[in-house]
Amino acid sequence: MSSNHSASGEETKRHKVEGPRKHIVAFVMSLALTIIAFAAVAAGEINTTFTYIILVGMAIIQVFIQMAFWMHMKDRGHLFPKIAIFTGVLVVFSAVITALYWVWW
Amino acid sequence: MSAHQHAEGQLPHEPEKATLEGRNKVLGFWIFLGAETVLFGTLFSAFIALRHQVLDGPTAQHLFELPMVFASTMILLTSSLMSVFAVQAMHNNKVKAMIGWLLITILLGLAFLGLEITEFNTYVKEGHTLKTSAFSSSFYTLVGFHGAHVAFGVLWIGLLIAQILKKGLTVVTAPKIYLSAIYWHFIDVVWVFIFTVVYLMGKVG
Repeated sequence: MSSNHSASGEETKRHKVEGPRKHIVAFVMSLALTIIAFAAVAAGEINTTFTYIILVGMAIIQVFIQMAFWMHMKDRGHLFPKIAIFTGVLVVFSAVITALYWVWW
Repeated sequence: MSAHQHAEGQLPHEPEKATLEGRNKVLGFWIFLGAETVLFGTLFSAFIALRHQVLDGPTAQHLFELPMVFASTMILLTSSLMSVFAVQAMHNNKVKAMIGWLLITILLGLAFLGLEITEFNTYVKEGHTLKTSAFSSSFYTLVGFHGAHVAFGVLWIGLLIAQILKKGLTVVTAPKIYLSAIYWHFIDVVWVFIFTVVYLMGKVG
């Protein structure tokens, strides 16, 4: 947001450069989510299905955080990157379901 | 040409997006990443479908050691943050700092590769080779493809450092630095799914 050229308003002589804070926050959150996932498995006393749900949940949240902040997908002008990645994800979902169905039913 | 007036010889703000060519490279790279998503996704789908087919070979629970996987994960996560700092240094036009962050990034990448090679070596000694079972084949294909991407990233970023030293940071070289960082983050994102689906779920059973 701060990184965009502002077309209107007065001439911005100095562009705002984003600070490292939000990236460090993203790092700490990724770290926390990773530790939760490993701890859930290391504890080993939760039932399997519930552990799977925790693991996949933590992974999806972490990936969203990293793509939004580190890969700048939350910034303006990232419609095509979103289309590209989500089209890929759509194919991935159908591939996973197809492979499971193909092998197991 | 940038829409803004810039002093002669001064690099524009966000040099990776200052030219049409730079913006096109970013767009093209995202389409490539969409295709990469499909590549890894199909390898994941094969692994998920076949992960219990171990025949006489060792099982995932028997093989995987969480401390080692955790160490790899930390190394890759940290290196991803280092390449964020490299891009920020680039935006501040601090070329030396940028090269420093990139060097740390590839050193961590090499450390990750070293751990992975040690790990595969241990597995082979325990009788878990590419040909052992459907589980082992899909495991090595998926994790090995990721490792190959890390190796390519190390090579690519290494060459970019050499190019920056030779040509300096310009509107031509800046998009390359930016995209190598995006690539490196993507590799980390794929690893998040690998440690979740392959290692942690494998350990759970």
